[in-house]
Amino acid sequence: MTQAPASSVAKAAPQVPPKPRTWPRTLGIVAVLAVLTALTATPALGGVEIDLGAIAKNWTNGADRIGKMLTPDLSVLPRTWQPLLETLQMAVVGAAISAALAIPLSLWAARPTNPNAPFRAAVRFVLNVIRAVPDLVYATILVAMVGVGALPGVITLVLFDIGIVVKLVSEAIDSADAAYMEAGRAAGGTQSQINRLTALPQTWPAYVSQVMYSLELNVRISAILGLVGAGGIGRLIDEMRGFYRYDALSTIVLEILIVVVLIELASNVLRKRLR
Amino acid sequence: MNDLTTRPEAEGDMPSASGPWPVELDDVTVRYPNGVVALKNVSLTVGAGEMVAVVGLSGSGKSTMIRTINGLVAPTSGSVRVGPHAVSELRGRALRHARGDIGMIFQGFNLADRASVFHNALVGRFSHMPTWRTTLGLATEADRAMVMRSLDSVGMLEKVWHRAGALSGGQKQRVAIARALSQEPAVMLADEPVASLDPPTAHSVMADLAAINASRGLTVLVNLHLMDLARQYTTRMIGLRAGEVVYDGPAASATDADFEAIYGRPVQARDRLGE
Ligand SMILES: Nc1ncnc2c1ncn2[C@@H]1O[C@H](COP(=O)(O)OP(=O)(O)OP(=O)(O)O)[C@@H](O)[C@H]1O
Ligand SMILES: [Mg+2]
Repeated sequence: MTQAPASSVAKAAPQVPPKPRTWPRTLGIVAVLAVLTALTATPALGGVEIDLGAIAKNWTNGADRIGKMLTPDLSVLPRTWQPLLETLQMAVVGAAISAALAIPLSLWAARPTNPNAPFRAAVRFVLNVIRAVPDLVYATILVAMVGVGALPGVITLVLFDIGIVVKLVSEAIDSADAAYMEAGRAAGGTQSQINRLTALPQTWPAYVSQVMYSLELNVRISAILGLVGAGGIGRLIDEMRGFYRYDALSTIVLEILIVVVLIELASNVLRKRLR
Repeated sequence: MNDLTTRPEAEGDMPSASGPWPVELDDVTVRYPNGVVALKNVSLTVGAGEMVAVVGLSGSGKSTMIRTINGLVAPTSGSVRVGPHAVSELRGRALRHARGDIGMIFQGFNLADRASVFHNALVGRFSHMPTWRTTLGLATEADRAMVMRSLDSVGMLEKVWHRAGALSGGQKQRVAIARALSQEPAVMLADEPVASLDPPTAHSVMADLAAINASRGLTVLVNLHLMDLARQYTTRMIGLRAGEVVYDGPAASATDADFEAIYGRPVQARDRLGE
């Protein structure tokens, strides 16, 4: 009676393969990161100059401005409605146009939905280029090309949004389980048929949340685009800053904050409904 | 519970491609790019309207064999013929057309979880629809009617507008069967169709497959690793071991010794599903 379990335990002692050692690699990564940080913060080696002394010297300047910003001047509010509305319009139009363009582009940029490697690489390359150019550069060039106003702002937002929406959505497609594709192929479907009928609904949640995120970013970015004459609330921000009216500035910042939070809330509601 | 033989109206109103077809493998060898030889000189003929089980241990080449039959895997040498289609010779449009005549069911159902049951079953109409129709989302009335009849024949019509992801495992596999039936196939392939299901559901899905074979006269090839399912639902059994056919004979009378010869080890409890 007592013999049997004992012997089965003795027999069952399994041969566990040796666990691979990971600490040397971890240590190596930490060391490399530490060296890189030290190098990039060493001016003698062409690194960035991190002058903590300057902060200490000029802190009264900053404190003065922060103090003003803590007491928002609400009298500026009536003047903000029109540019704020323009900003919202630019953000919505930009997000909508880029959302429409992002549907085919995302499908072409992801491996499961586009098995044609050269075509996929070409799409990705163009998108990388679009993403590499900073939004302010787009805005400055476009203002020079089409003139001051909302139009260069909208085009800038479209380019910026396409860059991020396509990247994030195509990565979501890449990492999602795509067993249903095999069923479409086994049924004799073309890639376009499979994409349209099955890949698209599978991608919907990632797509919607990225488009909502781009809308939120648009509101924030168009605050900056106004600085180079590309329309929206940024023009007013530039003006207030020019007059050192930091109290009025903080009112505008609060407004933008409220809009961003509202978009965030709407985005959460949408995402929940899609789940 | 969803035994198709109790639904005479499903019989005859869904004509197959052109009656059942035979499946012929002639000296088929499959070597994967990583060097694994999954099938070795396999020659066999499955007669039109036969219901055949393919059994073998994990890694014996069952999935590979099913996949070479509809061209999802190309043979390294040898030829595959399904009815009028020389599958191993076909490319592009002709291959898609051939696949359209061959239904396939998967262990993991391979449904697009976020798409509706209707859209998942409509995948079965791909080879009958021009791509532009699918892209514009314009299924013809005939396509819709075929999908509805297929769903009805597996008892899933009431779920037609539900999301596929919201169904139980057995319901998902029935939708997958309806997807394959929507193709109006002449041959039905099933790769471990019940391996993800609990025993009662497994039995009812196997009964559905047997009923499809009986009432529509489809040629059915089904991969199984459970000996009692092979005996109960199929008429002929092909045993694979390390990529070679080691058994080919009637299923009902296959003895435990036959299974031991196929598996190369004594029969174990997990080789049977039970009730
Ligand atoms: N895409 C692939 N690339 C490389 N090797 C593969 C591939 N698919 C299968 N194999 C190998 O080919 C052999 C046969 O695999 P196959 O999937 O046909 O077996 P199976 O009988 O279906 O097994 P299971 O019961 O586990 O599904 C295995 O050794 C497997 O590792
Ligand atoms: Mg398999």
